[in-house]
Amino acid sequence: METNPASLPSAFLLLFRNSGPENHAHLSPGERQRLVTDWNDWFEGLVAQGKATEGQPLELDTRVVSGPGGTRITDGPFPEAKEAIGGYVKLLVRDRDEATAIARRHPGLSYGLVIEVRELTPHCHLGVNTKPADAAVAAPV
Amino acid sequence: MTPSVPESSAVPPPAAPRPAQLVEHFFRHETGRLHGALLRLVGVQNFTLAEDVAQEAMLRALRTWSMGGVPPNPSAWITRVALNLARDALRHQRMSTAKETSISMHHEQMLGTPAAAWAAAHELRDDALRLMFVCCHPSVAPDAQVVLALKVLCGFSTGEIARAFFSSEAAIAKQLTRTKQRVAEAGLGFEIPEGENLAPRLDGVLAALYLLFNEGYKASAGDRLLREELCHEALRLTSLLVAHAAGNTPRSHALLALMLLTAARFPSRLDVHGDLVRLDDQDRSKWDQALIERGLIELSAAANGPELSEYHLQAGIAALHCMAADYASTDWARILRHYDELYRLKSSPVVALNRAVAVAHVHGPQAGLDAITAIPQRERLESHYLLHAVTGELHWRMKDHRAAAEDFRRALQLAQVGPEQLYLSRMLDRTADAPAA
Repeated sequence: METNPASLPSAFLLLFRNSGPENHAHLSPGERQRLVTDWNDWFEGLVAQGKATEGQPLELDTRVVSGPGGTRITDGPFPEAKEAIGGYVKLLVRDRDEATAIARRHPGLSYGLVIEVRELTPHCHLGVNTKPADAAVAAPV
Repeated sequence: MTPSVPESSAVPPPAAPRPAQLVEHFFRHETGRLHGALLRLVGVQNFTLAEDVAQEAMLRALRTWSMGGVPPNPSAWITRVALNLARDALRHQRMSTAKETSISMHHEQMLGTPAAAWAAAHELRDDALRLMFVCCHPSVAPDAQVVLALKVLCGFSTGEIARAFFSSEAAIAKQLTRTKQRVAEAGLGFEIPEGENLAPRLDGVLAALYLLFNEGYKASAGDRLLREELCHEALRLTSLLVAHAAGNTPRSHALLALMLLTAARFPSRLDVHGDLVRLDDQDRSKWDQALIERGLIELSAAANGPELSEYHLQAGIAALHCMAADYASTDWARILRHYDELYRLKSSPVVALNRAVAVAHVHGPQAGLDAITAIPQRERLESHYLLHAVTGELHWRMKDHRAAAEDFRRALQLAQVGPEQLYLSRMLDRTADAPAA
C-alpha cells in the first residue's frame, strides 16, 4: 500500500512515545543541550528538504473519554507514562521505508524514545493529505 | 509557549520559523541563574526545593524545546516555568501569602517592559552573587565550597564533578548532601554581605574561586576538557564578582588578572597529541593575546591602592611570562623577587618549590637544588610528582643523568594524569639515551 506508483508523496505521522522527563533526568546540562540541539537539527533538516511539514510536543496531562455517552472520564498522566504520546512530526515522503529511515536517524532514540511510524491514509474524506503534491516533488532528495 | 510567528509577514511562512539557538552552555549557566532566583524566593533553608524546581523546569524545557523548538527568549521561558512551579510548591507547603505576592511581582517583572527586563537581569545577576556568597560561607569547608559552587552555581552534574575530581559519583553526591544540610542548618540569609562583614566574606569567595581555577589548571587527574571548563567557570564568576560594587576590590582584580594571564597560555600547553609542552617549548604565537590584554588591564586595576595580595604577586609572575618575547628573555630576576615576596606572604612548600625554579634560572641549577633542600616541610612535597620532576630537570641540567633518571622515575610513579605521565616518560627516555656523567 505504501509504495506510490505516481511518485506522489505520502503523509506519515511519527508518534513519539516514552519521551517523558524521567528519561532525561540523569543527563548532564551539557547532554541536555546537545539533545535539544540535535533534535531540532534533525527536524529543521527535514523541513529544509520539504519532508517535514509540522511537529509539536503534547502536554503530558491527559483526559480520556470513553464508554457510551462518554460517561467514563479518566484524568492523566497515565500510570503507563511510557506509552503516552509526547509529540508528533508529520512527514511528506515517498514511502514507509523513507519515513522509517528518517525515524531511525532520530537523536532521541539513544535516550529511550520510541517512534511509531503511521501512514495517514490518502482516502480520508476529510482530505488529510492537503499539501499540494508539487511542494514536495520540487524538494531535493 | 507556542512558537512565535513573525508579525509583519502577511502570508504565513511555508514552514515553522527556524527556532532560536541556545547559547553555549545555556542549561549549565541557567542552572545557577534559576537557583539564584528560586533561593531568593524560597529561602536558603529550602535549598532542596529550589534544586528540585529548577530541575523540573529544565526537564520541561528540554521536552518542549526538543519537539517544539527553542523559544526566542529561553531564559525568560524557563524562569517563568520555574517560578510557577515554585509558587505551586509553596502553596502546597502553605507558606505565607507574602511570599506568593513577591513571586507574582517578580513574575511580572520578568515579562514586563524592556526597562523592567533590564532591572530583572541585574537582579538575576545579583542573585548569582548572593548564591556565590552562600556557597563560599565559612561554615563550609573550602573543598566542599568548590564542589557546591560547581553543582548549584555552575550547573555541573554530579557525574561531571566526579570525573573532574577523579572521584566517585556516590562520594560527590554524599558530600553535596552533607554540605547542603550544613548550609540549611546554618540559617544563612540570601544576601550579599555588607559593611564590616563584606571583606572577610569576599576573601572567602576569592579563595574558593582561586581554588576552582586551580583545580582546572593543575590537571592532576580527571577529564582534561572538563577541567578547562572549571577554569572558564572560575573566570566567568570572578568577572561577575568584579563587575559588582561589592566585589570591586584590588585583590579581586588581581585574581581575575591571574586567571586571564594563565588561561591565555592554555592553547599552547598541550601539543597536537595532547602531550604536555613545557613553558620553554611552547609556541608563544598561540597564546591568546586578547586574554593577555584583558589580564594586563585587570592587573593595572588591581594596582589601584597600596594593597599587595598573593593574587597580585602571582598575577605579576604570570604577566612577566606573558610579556617575554621568548623563554630566553624571561625576566627571571623579577620573577624571583615576586616569589620572595610571595613566600613572605604565604610560606607554603609549593610556593617554595616554584621559587626554587626561579632561583635555578637566576643562579644556576645547583642553587635551585640547594633551595629545594632548604624548603621547610619538604616532606609534604615528597608524594607530589612535581618535586621530582623539578629536581630531575635540575639534575639533568647539571649533567647528572643518573640522578635525573631516578627523579623522573619517581615522578612518573606519582603522576596521575596522561599528559604528565607522557611528558615524564619522554624525559626519562632522554636520560637513558644520554651518556653517563
